[in-house]
Amino acid sequence: MTTKTSTKLDLHDIQGLVARGYGSLPVACYLLFAVADRRAAQAQVGRWAEAVANAGSGHREAATHVAFTATGLAALGLPEDSLAGFSAEFLGGMAAPHRARQLGDVDEADPARWQWGGPANPQVDGVVLLYARDEQELAERERSAAGALTGNGLRLVKRLGTERLTDREPFGFRDGIAQPAVAGLGSAGNGQAVAAGEFVLGYRNGYGQLTDAPALARNGTYLVFRQLEQDVDGFWRYVEDATRRPDGSVDDDRREQLAAKMVGRWRSGAPLVLAPDHDDPARAADNAFGYHDTDPTGLACPLGAHIRRANPRDSLDPDPGTAKSLAVNDRHRLLRRGRAYGPEPRGLHFICLSANIARQFEFVQHTWLDNPNFRGRYDDTDPLVGSRLPYGDTFTEPAAPVRRRHVGLPRFVLPRGGGYFFLPGISALRSLAELP
Amino acid sequence: MPHQVAITIHAPIRAGSAADLRELLAELGRKGAHDGAIPFGELPGVHFARFFVLDQVGDLDGRPIPASLVYLSDVDAPLDRHLRQLAGKADVLDQVFGYCEDYPVAVPALGARVAWLRRHVVSSAVTYVNTVGRGLDQIRQEARLREAIQDFLDEPGRDWAGRSPTEVRREVRRFVASRPDLARAMSPPRRPGIVFRVRETAHKIALPLVVLVLSPALLVALPAWAVLLRWHERRDEEETKRPDPMLVAELTSYEDHVVQNAFTAVGFVKAGLFRRLTMRIVLAGVSYAVRHFYNAGSLAGVRTIHFARWVPIDDGRRLFFASNYDGSQESYMSDFIDRLAWGLNAVFSNGHGYPRTRWLVKGGAENEQAFKNYLRNHQLPAPVWYSAYDNLTADNVAANARIRAGLHADLTPAQTADWLALL
Repeated sequence: MTTKTSTKLDLHDIQGLVARGYGSLPVACYLLFAVADRRAAQAQVGRWAEAVANAGSGHREAATHVAFTATGLAALGLPEDSLAGFSAEFLGGMAAPHRARQLGDVDEADPARWQWGGPANPQVDGVVLLYARDEQELAERERSAAGALTGNGLRLVKRLGTERLTDREPFGFRDGIAQPAVAGLGSAGNGQAVAAGEFVLGYRNGYGQLTDAPALARNGTYLVFRQLEQDVDGFWRYVEDATRRPDGSVDDDRREQLAAKMVGRWRSGAPLVLAPDHDDPARAADNAFGYHDTDPTGLACPLGAHIRRANPRDSLDPDPGTAKSLAVNDRHRLLRRGRAYGPEPRGLHFICLSANIARQFEFVQHTWLDNPNFRGRYDDTDPLVGSRLPYGDTFTEPAAPVRRRHVGLPRFVLPRGGGYFFLPGISALRSLAELP
Repeated sequence: MPHQVAITIHAPIRAGSAADLRELLAELGRKGAHDGAIPFGELPGVHFARFFVLDQVGDLDGRPIPASLVYLSDVDAPLDRHLRQLAGKADVLDQVFGYCEDYPVAVPALGARVAWLRRHVVSSAVTYVNTVGRGLDQIRQEARLREAIQDFLDEPGRDWAGRSPTEVRREVRRFVASRPDLARAMSPPRRPGIVFRVRETAHKIALPLVVLVLSPALLVALPAWAVLLRWHERRDEEETKRPDPMLVAELTSYEDHVVQNAFTAVGFVKAGLFRRLTMRIVLAGVSYAVRHFYNAGSLAGVRTIHFARWVPIDDGRRLFFASNYDGSQESYMSDFIDRLAWGLNAVFSNGHGYPRTRWLVKGGAENEQAFKNYLRNHQLPAPVWYSAYDNLTADNVAANARIRAGLHADLTPAQTADWLALL
């Protein structure tokens, strides 16, 4: 049943965000909205169907995208039997109790304390994502989008701004280097292409199969949105204190090294596997590496480093270092489309696209990032983004002859809001607009 | 060290009381098996335990099967000791088993309870133990050992920089030997008893001999069996329904609280002699394989399962599968699909509604979504579930044993460095 033939994607029906992260459109904002009046809202969805950028069109001065939550699809009148065809994760939502536990959204990060998307917040039915070349262009787009919302049966729930796009995330590390290459999407990404059906519904996935979805979902995908507040000062204060010399003075080199060990890359982006001892800007965008042959025990890049958790590459059982291991890894990839916000509070509007939220986003979050027992450890969650709950506040830096163990890591990243959205294909937007 | 036994107690519930019992189990589960609602921790040698209810159903021919209660535990041998100790917790036991037919509630004698429990013991067709012979005491001691060594390495004033692995190991050994509570770790754990080992070896030899003797007959039967198999596989109906969101909500409410999860699922065996016989043979083969080959840390490449069992019930009309595994159900199912699809197919494809297989081992679980849906559709909530070491993965338990083994083994400098990397 598995087919290795080339994938022909219906690019003109797929929203452009699937194909590109808009590096040439550095300013962006996100408008969360609710449906107030179904008929008027449907008319606006019809206009969006004409306005949103598709994956087949070329260079643009600005781009608009729109995605809906399960409540949003219901509010637009999608019949129950069609809605029920969407995945259970999407229908249940990110803030459902079991899911919150799986994602580490407990205590301080409990959805009940979120600024949006939680049970105590106003209902979010969808999000408009706006991208532009400059602030002025964005302001115009936003004005007309906001007008489109309020005048057309929709209500603005919250505006989420972003910082002008750079290649750095707020902790100061180069980000967005490792993106999966998607079969049929050409340029974006690197390495062996991942099956298109891992990121677009209606195509064969990593198992050579079609992911369950209603007919309406063809050429659409799920969009996972999390507002992740980053305690940048807390992070650097921690690594500085943890690496002070015995006399109490600051050790700049060790501080940079510990931070890099936590991330798996130096600030420039140079991966520790290729630049184990010091930063090497010449390797900043280097992404052609595995772990198993060069660094099986993590002496260069700790097994628990952020990038080695988020994307273990060839280090997975049953046959690390082989294509079989990479194939397992490829069934847990995410297309990341997030942007930083700030200046205070600072953080990341984490956005990722995937066709199977449970097997991709939730698996990566629970089984790899926030798993205290990941790769044979006992008490180590992701040093950068881990929840440390119910335990897991240790970071182990493999070293000879004896590991360096850092205990009592604070939480550096705190979810402040989030939701599971569906990013429909263009013709699906038209169908939503025409629902009886 | 003792070997491990899987205890299953299966008893019909008095007519009309299943709902009340469910309610009680949910209540006990909310209190938490760990906080003493059911004091499994006070019973020596209990690794895992659970209670669940099988609702009243009609079988494939429409004949009713009454609701029943199931108690499972994975314990260190001997079985009788566990039954006696369980029976000793009369107040809890009476409360739960009191819903079952003929349970001797009014009888104060321990013997009556033990006899009742023993009468309701059901044997497993397959019992998987991650590492045979590793008892609960050993697991606990080795976990403490590791923690103590970790703390020793980080004692203030110690600086290991520049020391050789061999020197570090020497100091660790000296430290462990100096601690009366840890010193036992300086010698290897005891192996299971001689009777057990002789029995296992005899079994390991005997089954192939029997197969050898029967092989002419089996060879004659094989082509006919293969033809019948393909005929059945083409004809058997697949279940296509998606799991009920209410059921999934209930199931997931019990998941991901600690590092392990419990999985319990039940289904009907397909009608007819062919499937029944095929299942019997496959289960016998699987039982042999896990008993003699997959008994030391890995089930054909899957290292996340602590204990598992397949148990035929209701005169072989139904079969349930129960396991204790590490991580989320999503990752468990991914392990199944990516690594164990063939093995699961061979057993489960004899189950009613399972995704279509080819030649017994192909297809089936390889059909990702159909398989995930099938498991959820057949899964049962286990509101009362106990784990004796709920922060340790099977991987952790194995590494702890290797840490101990490294204290008394002869290690090369390279092996010593690898050993230190376990810490």
